[in-house]
Amino acid sequence: MNDAPVSTRARLVVLEKRGPPFAFQRFYVRFMLWLIGRLLQAASVVDDEIRREVGNLPAGFTFSMRVRSGSAALTLTKHGDRLRAVPAAAVPHPVLSFDFKHIAHAFLVLSFQESTPRALANDRLSVDGEYPSAMKMLRALNRMQALVLPRFVAVRALKACPRISLAEKIGLASRIYGRLIVELLKRPAA
Amino acid sequence: MTKHYFEFSCPVKMVAGFRALEHISFELDTRGASRPLIVSDKGVVGAGLVDTVLAAIATGGGQVGPIFDDVPPDSSMEAVRAGAARYLDSGCDAIIAVGGGSVMDTAKALNILATEGGVDLRQFAGYNNLKRPLKPFIAIPTTAGTGSEVTAISVIKDREEGVKTFYCSPFLLPDVAVLDPRMTLKLPPMITAATAMDALTHAVEAYTCLARNPMSDAYAEAAVRRISQWLVPVLLRPDEAEGRLALAEAAAMAGIAFSNSPVGLVHALAHTIGAMYGVHHGAANSIFLPFVLEFNLPGSRQEIGALLLSLAGPEVYAATPASRRAEEAIDRIMALKDKAHELCGLPRTLAETGSVPREDLPRIARTALDDGTVVMNPVDVTYEGALRVLERAW
Ligand SMILES: [Fe+2]
Repeated sequence: MNDAPVSTRARLVVLEKRGPPFAFQRFYVRFMLWLIGRLLQAASVVDDEIRREVGNLPAGFTFSMRVRSGSAALTLTKHGDRLRAVPAAAVPHPVLSFDFKHIAHAFLVLSFQESTPRALANDRLSVDGEYPSAMKMLRALNRMQALVLPRFVAVRALKACPRISLAEKIGLASRIYGRLIVELLKRPAA
Repeated sequence: MTKHYFEFSCPVKMVAGFRALEHISFELDTRGASRPLIVSDKGVVGAGLVDTVLAAIATGGGQVGPIFDDVPPDSSMEAVRAGAARYLDSGCDAIIAVGGGSVMDTAKALNILATEGGVDLRQFAGYNNLKRPLKPFIAIPTTAGTGSEVTAISVIKDREEGVKTFYCSPFLLPDVAVLDPRMTLKLPPMITAATAMDALTHAVEAYTCLARNPMSDAYAEAAVRRISQWLVPVLLRPDEAEGRLALAEAAAMAGIAFSNSPVGLVHALAHTIGAMYGVHHGAANSIFLPFVLEFNLPGSRQEIGALLLSLAGPEVYAATPASRRAEEAIDRIMALKDKAHELCGLPRTLAETGSVPREDLPRIARTALDDGTVVMNPVDVTYEGALRVLERAW
């Protein structure tokens, strides 16, 4: 390292000082996957459209969105027309999974710098499972994001923002967040 | 910082043109193979195409194993198992597929069993579930459309489970694709037109959908140029070998393009009416292509306009104002459809297929939304949007 030019050496020192690589991204991704799981669970109770998509998924459906290294995951199971967030260990072989190839790719999508379709187009995300179910989950995810995200963020996360009136959006969003809080208070350890 | 990123791969060796079949014995030899199983179907064998291949191999000093010609029009699990049994029983060491999409799909899946032995094929279903290379595999397409000779996917109908199963792995790719004009000279005009329009759709969708990249663009443009230049001449003079080869090259290039930049809404709709009413895949793509491009104008006007150069040539492109190029490109595709209809009766609309009831359009729209290809469409596809395209295509 001492042979490296001064500028390179300085950069290496900065990198070392940052701690383990991707530590922040790892933390952020883990939090977001947790949040998205809970929001989908809440939205599948509150929103008719998401409930219809979930209702059309096959019985016994299980879903997971993971980072390949195994460092983070969100796992959902279907019960009737509702989704329930469960610990990843509860479903070792999900019926459908969206797998990010690297934590950095998950970070791009979950920090709304890259939309899900763009991530799929860029081969950052691989889908394992039946496509009809994948499409229903994608639509449910899109709808949930369109409802809970501020519009200026949603336009970056989605291919197109569905036309929802502001009143409807605020109404549904507050019910989803409300439901999320109720669920958290009910099962604080889950 | 640019967020530009793409992946591209095509490890298939192309052996293409005059006397291409005569290269097969060399290709077998370099892969240490001397007893290839020939996989084909009764129609291809009946047309004498397998004989042509065998003669070319024999005159090159090569040898072949048995011929398995029991591939049905819709590749099936039974055919895959029967073919694999034939391979294993007769000590084969390579596979040569001679046929269209179904033969290629069967040969790819058969290669899994030929390599892995008597196991359940289903354990390899899905994405990237093969972990090692398979037996040497040479693909000789007898249609110019699907591009299966360069794609890493096989779809097998599983009657026991009542589903179509996907197998997708780079190891499914043929080692060599042989494009020889003798293989497509006798294709009837209707199939020639339908398969060429399938290839055109692969290229146009690869060029206009979300995963487009500099490499797939290059293949797509070259494919579009050949098809727009040669489809009508070949329909007028079916034994035009130069044109036949150009269409075969175009189909392979379009296959490479869409393997690396997947297709969109045209294919979603074509898959749906194919499954519901048995409309030929190429004919269905041909029907929807211009109407989906109209629908996609807000998201890919630039790309559709750029295609005018490959569709109509430099004079027309230069003479068309930049703001009108996208519309002009769509008009050119409409005109190609009209010409194909006039020359061989290829349907231009859903009504002309005679098999899609108008009152079913809402159901078709609803079903198409569940087709995975809509993800890559440049414009978000809603139920209303899909229905609008279907109404236009009626
Ligand atoms: Fe196709």
